[in-house]
Amino acid sequence: MTVHENKLVQEIETLQEEFSKTTEKLIKDVKRQDKIMARSDKRQQQEYDELQRKFAEVEALQREIEDTQKEVVFTMGAIGESRSKETGNHVKRVAEYSKILALHYGLDTKESEMLKQASPMHDIGKVAIPDAVLNKPGRFDEHERKIMDTHAGLGYEMLNVSDRPLLKMAAIVAYEHHEKWNGTGYPNQTKGEEIHIYGRITALADVFDALGSDRVYKKAWSDEKIFKMFKEERGEHFDPKLIDIFFDNIDEFLTVRDSLMDTTE
Amino acid sequence: MENLTFEATKYTPEINLDAKGVLSLVGKSYPENTFEFYAPMMKWLEEYFEGNAAGTTTINMEITYFNSSSSKLFFDFFDLLEENCENHTIVVNWIYDAENESAEEAGEDFIEDFESLKIKLVEK
Repeated sequence: MTVHENKLVQEIETLQEEFSKTTEKLIKDVKRQDKIMARSDKRQQQEYDELQRKFAEVEALQREIEDTQKEVVFTMGAIGESRSKETGNHVKRVAEYSKILALHYGLDTKESEMLKQASPMHDIGKVAIPDAVLNKPGRFDEHERKIMDTHAGLGYEMLNVSDRPLLKMAAIVAYEHHEKWNGTGYPNQTKGEEIHIYGRITALADVFDALGSDRVYKKAWSDEKIFKMFKEERGEHFDPKLIDIFFDNIDEFLTVRDSLMDTTE
Repeated sequence: MENLTFEATKYTPEINLDAKGVLSLVGKSYPENTFEFYAPMMKWLEEYFEGNAAGTTTINMEITYFNSSSSKLFFDFFDLLEENCENHTIVVNWIYDAENESAEEAGEDFIEDFESLKIKLVEK
């Protein structure tokens, strides 16, 4: 007996073959995808490791740059200091006082920290003042006083050539730290809030420290005497808002003064 | 058949498809829309093999960096080459820098996957 060849079987066999081909293709494709993924994972891992290494390197360099900058800035401040009659930790204290005033005045942390670094350079212009004037014992005559007063403008010119924000800030500080709120300061007799806040802050910080320190030519003023003078000069020499900040936070200033006392030579 | 050229961009390689039989891909490949980007190249290649392909087709690939979808695209690209390698002479030079481990490994993967295709690893 001949068995009738079932057409359906034939069709199924064709399908089976097609299916087998497709399945093979799919398996191949899945394997490829797996391989791509495995390679990609490996590469990502290497790349991320590398990235982290680079980040760490950049951070270390950044710290290095910042530390160098701080050191250079303090050294510059110390040079200015050595040319003036200030001694010891003067620039460091002025730096700290400036930061305290800046923060309470409402400058943000970054700007306040920058001012702390910029303010020590306020007297850098004194490097260009002739020794004969700078080291003259006793009082200056009018001509000598005029020469001395050029240190503000000289400092500005030295620092303002830089494009670095910190040095730009230091230029402002050097230029305006002898201006007075009532417009009787120098070099430009600038008044009130026209004096940059950096200048107003450093002016107060500088004077507070200078009065409270012993100098070859004078004894340190008593706190009482300084406070009395500050109250009198509120809105005259100094920005009234800064004087208020000073008295409201006097403990902070005294703590800094105590921690950075000059050692007796 | 006209040649097809793409200038390199930040994310894509320079591509030169010369109908005289030299095709080259040089640079990096990590676009966002990989398949879209390579679509004209794939289309060109299909037409090339359907038409008057050169006696020998040489493909120089020097891809220094590629993302995973580019890797997939290259597999598709080699599939297309393999489909045509019976009727055409095709030589692929996979060029990589000695220090570029992932490029070397990718080349090895291609060789493993495309047995009938002539892929040469060329260390720079």
